[in-house]
Amino acid sequence: MVDAAAIARLRAAYSDELARAATAADVQALRDRYLGRKQGAVTALWREIAHASPEARPELGRLANDLKTHIDTTLSERRAALAPSKPSTPRLDLTLPARALARGSRHPLSALLERIEHIFARMGYEILDGPEAEDEYHNFEALNMPPEHPARDMQDTLYLAHPLATRSSHLATLLRTHTSPMQIRYMETAQRPVRIIAPGRVYRRDNLDVTHTPMFHQVEGLVVGEGITMGDLKSTLIGFLRQLFGEDRPVTFRPSFFPYTEPSADIFLGCTCRGAGCGVCKQTGWLEVLGSGMVHPAVFEAVGYDPERYTGFAFGAGIERLAMLLHGIDDIRLFYENDMRFLEQFPS
Amino acid sequence: MRVLVSWLRDLVDVPVAIDRLAADLHMRGFEVASIEPWHGGEVDDAVIDLEITANRPDCLSVAGIAREVSVLYDVPLRLPRPPASPDRAPALPITIEAPALCPRYVGALAEVSVGTSPAWLVNRLAAAGIRAINTIVDVTNYVLVELGHPLHAFDFEKLAGGELRIRLARAGESVTTLDGQRRTLDPQMLVIADRDHAQAVAGIMGGHGSEVSLGTRVIALESAYFQPQSVRRTSKRLGLSTEASYRFERGADPDAPLRALLRTCQLLEQLGAGRLRPGVADVQPSTLEPRVVSLRPARVGVVTGLHVGPGAVDPAEFERILVGLGFAVDATGKEVWQVTVPTWRVDVTREVDLIEEIARSVGYDRLPSTFPALHAPPAPPDPRLERQRVARDVAVGAGFAECVTFSFVERRAALAFADEADLVQLANPLSEQFAVMRPSLLPGLVDVVSHNRRRERRDVRLFEIGARFTVRGGETRGLALVWTGAASPQHWSGTGRQADLFDLAGVSSALGERFGVDLVCDPADIPYLVSGRAAHLIMKRNGAADQSGTPETDATVVGVIGQLVASVAEARELPANEAVLVAEIDLDRLGADIDANPVVRVEPLPRHPSVVRDLSMLVAADLPAASVRGTIRSVAPPTLAEVQEFDRYQGRGIPEGFVSLSVRLTFRAADRTLTDTEVQDAVDALVAALADRHAARLR
Ligand SMILES: [Zn+2]
Repeated sequence: MVDAAAIARLRAAYSDELARAATAADVQALRDRYLGRKQGAVTALWREIAHASPEARPELGRLANDLKTHIDTTLSERRAALAPSKPSTPRLDLTLPARALARGSRHPLSALLERIEHIFARMGYEILDGPEAEDEYHNFEALNMPPEHPARDMQDTLYLAHPLATRSSHLATLLRTHTSPMQIRYMETAQRPVRIIAPGRVYRRDNLDVTHTPMFHQVEGLVVGEGITMGDLKSTLIGFLRQLFGEDRPVTFRPSFFPYTEPSADIFLGCTCRGAGCGVCKQTGWLEVLGSGMVHPAVFEAVGYDPERYTGFAFGAGIERLAMLLHGIDDIRLFYENDMRFLEQFPS
Repeated sequence: MRVLVSWLRDLVDVPVAIDRLAADLHMRGFEVASIEPWHGGEVDDAVIDLEITANRPDCLSVAGIAREVSVLYDVPLRLPRPPASPDRAPALPITIEAPALCPRYVGALAEVSVGTSPAWLVNRLAAAGIRAINTIVDVTNYVLVELGHPLHAFDFEKLAGGELRIRLARAGESVTTLDGQRRTLDPQMLVIADRDHAQAVAGIMGGHGSEVSLGTRVIALESAYFQPQSVRRTSKRLGLSTEASYRFERGADPDAPLRALLRTCQLLEQLGAGRLRPGVADVQPSTLEPRVVSLRPARVGVVTGLHVGPGAVDPAEFERILVGLGFAVDATGKEVWQVTVPTWRVDVTREVDLIEEIARSVGYDRLPSTFPALHAPPAPPDPRLERQRVARDVAVGAGFAECVTFSFVERRAALAFADEADLVQLANPLSEQFAVMRPSLLPGLVDVVSHNRRRERRDVRLFEIGARFTVRGGETRGLALVWTGAASPQHWSGTGRQADLFDLAGVSSALGERFGVDLVCDPADIPYLVSGRAAHLIMKRNGAADQSGTPETDATVVGVIGQLVASVAEARELPANEAVLVAEIDLDRLGADIDANPVVRVEPLPRHPSVVRDLSMLVAADLPAASVRGTIRSVAPPTLAEVQEFDRYQGRGIPEGFVSLSVRLTFRAADRTLTDTEVQDAVDALVAALADRHAARLR
């Protein structure tokens, strides 16, 4: 009487014989012995199953079929293995290194600027471009900083030795200390609601050290319209920071002072130490990342906007500072040294 | 501003622990630089070091911070109330000759015995970061820290004529200040003088000649208000900044001088160090009217987003805040309040300043978060930025690493790339290293190559995109590429070769292609590039290049390409024997009126087969390939679809001074299959033309 155990015994017997099959002839004999149309052991098995009880038949049929497939495959494999090898294509040692593509890289500052531009573009912002050599009016006066204003000390300025005529037809006398002049130029001609960011290089007369360079990058933003409030400022900048640093980072706002905004706020991001205090946050748990505020009415007046009708908010951040926080860089000079061992850590 | 907490507690109750106080002050806009435990007297004392922004000179004092604390916790403020002095004729003659620069001067005499201050006073000054000197100086410093108003004491017996004159300095006048420096004054500087000489630079520092010493018996006390701009200008000119000038130039309280002087006398008496001589002089050439600013409580909501009114924030809270900060509020007009600004709040001049005071006190974290509605679609990105983005993509794609270098360079480095007269110089550069604006991106990039070569990096491909500055061209945006070393990354199969100018030109061609134009090389002499290995990059509209025989006409020079001369490379410490390949492209010109994202219009695919003919010819070795191509183009029928140089050979079998040039010509027509005869006729015609114009011989 055939049963599952008998099939298993047959399978075990086959495995033993297969292990001993050393030639193509052995393999052929084995095929005849098990799968031969007349005397084959598996063929005989099928005949016996036909007499088994109807309840047992399906299961036994399946087992017999499995065994046949197993024998078929293993015999084919063995035969292929024993076949005399054909003259082949020379072997390649594919464990050798590949031929590398020349891989360029994007500077971390421009990569971050681009990322920030994308975030704001998705929020409907227009992205501005403007001259780095500026005039006093657009860099200071229009921003509520008359010549004797003490806030000018905050931004020690690099001046040109001689006024420079530029393609944008203004007479430049200094290197812009922030990107705000672009916003002034924009508002001078726009005279309507605005939603813009102004990224770019700015200059201050700071000596080189681990946190200062005489040139750095900024992004400033401006939203002007009817009914824009400080609440709008809050959610916009919280949204921006979380897109950049991660959704779980806390953000807080603290009063500050800028001549061109009132009220003004500094914006702090929770440190990665989660408030425990570390060297990066100087043990405070918070990182200052943005300056912001409601556009000062004097700025609106300078560009011919009615400060009764329009309100707006402005903000600004140093790109180097953000990049240092994002990438864990502790010396700002690395950005300007352009050591390829540094640059290549930012593949494109 | 270093605030000793126990001192603060004299003026206001602090109902919270020190850490909490610091955190709360931080949230009100006073950034906490540090909290330092202080062991001077009381247990549990500390110095909180606060950063005071330029608009809040009133908070450069313990009293100013106490006022903020009183609003913060809604607790009463206890400012010192020194007794008034009996009304007598002034004991000290004072003349203000420059009333615009000194709107108020309070002066008095006091008999003193100068000694050392008691420990508690020395301790408080030390906490504030001030060294004790003698009782008189210490008490004036104490009042400076407590009330924020600077005072000065003169040794009265050293004042010639026993009087003070507040006047402008005389031409050539000088004074030796307390720090021992002899300072030459100019006639815009305000001084405090006796009958004969300047005895102090007003609002900045006293003079050595009338300095209070242990032997001083009578002092003349000064407590004045000086015009901020004047103090600021003088302080800058003299390069002398003091605790006093710092406060005066940001704006002192014009109402404080008398109070501060009386407080000083009160303390002197308390210490047994001095006694006021009755008769305080208070000279005020003009009286300052208090500023009144209108405030619409509803406007607070418009700016901050707070919901003001029934069921939301009560305007009564605004009133409490303002009154606590010293403002007088007339709220009889419900819609518009009249708010009188206290004299010490120099920063509050308009409604929005009051709104800030309210927002700051309510707390920014209590303001609602809303998102601004978008009412119009944003404009497309600035085309200049788009062009930069495309240029960056091409350069990165070609294996170049992006650099960012400073926009100012050494004069010597710049001179290799521009004339002296064309350099844009800085008036106040940080150093020689950063003296002129870069006329080109190349000096910066060459230095980066040098930096990396010194770090054993042989194969360097770099680019930068940024502004360049020249007197003639103004500010322009460019892309520069530098390539030195291997043409492709090193591989064990050893198939590498050095990069050459054709590799670099491949990058500029690819850039042109992205902009939908042809960028072709036009050999030229360029001072900083090796002769015979330098060219202008010329922009041509797509298609135009193939038709035109002469590349120079109707074309625009948008850049340069070539091999850097050895002298420039060596000057920047690069090995002279290794080729440094450079290119620089003016992105403003390249893209001036073309689209960074040109729309592709598809051409139908050819339906008829093409016919290919190869020609090998001998031509003069110095004949530019562009001329051969131009001749072929000018003679060939429109069925010539493509001309491609595929071999150039000099050497065995080629006569001296000649070169074998092979070109592949592809003929095709859109509407039919070309016959052999018509192709042969075309080839014959152009072979004849090549022989005629260039003496070319078929091989
Ligand atoms: Zn931390």
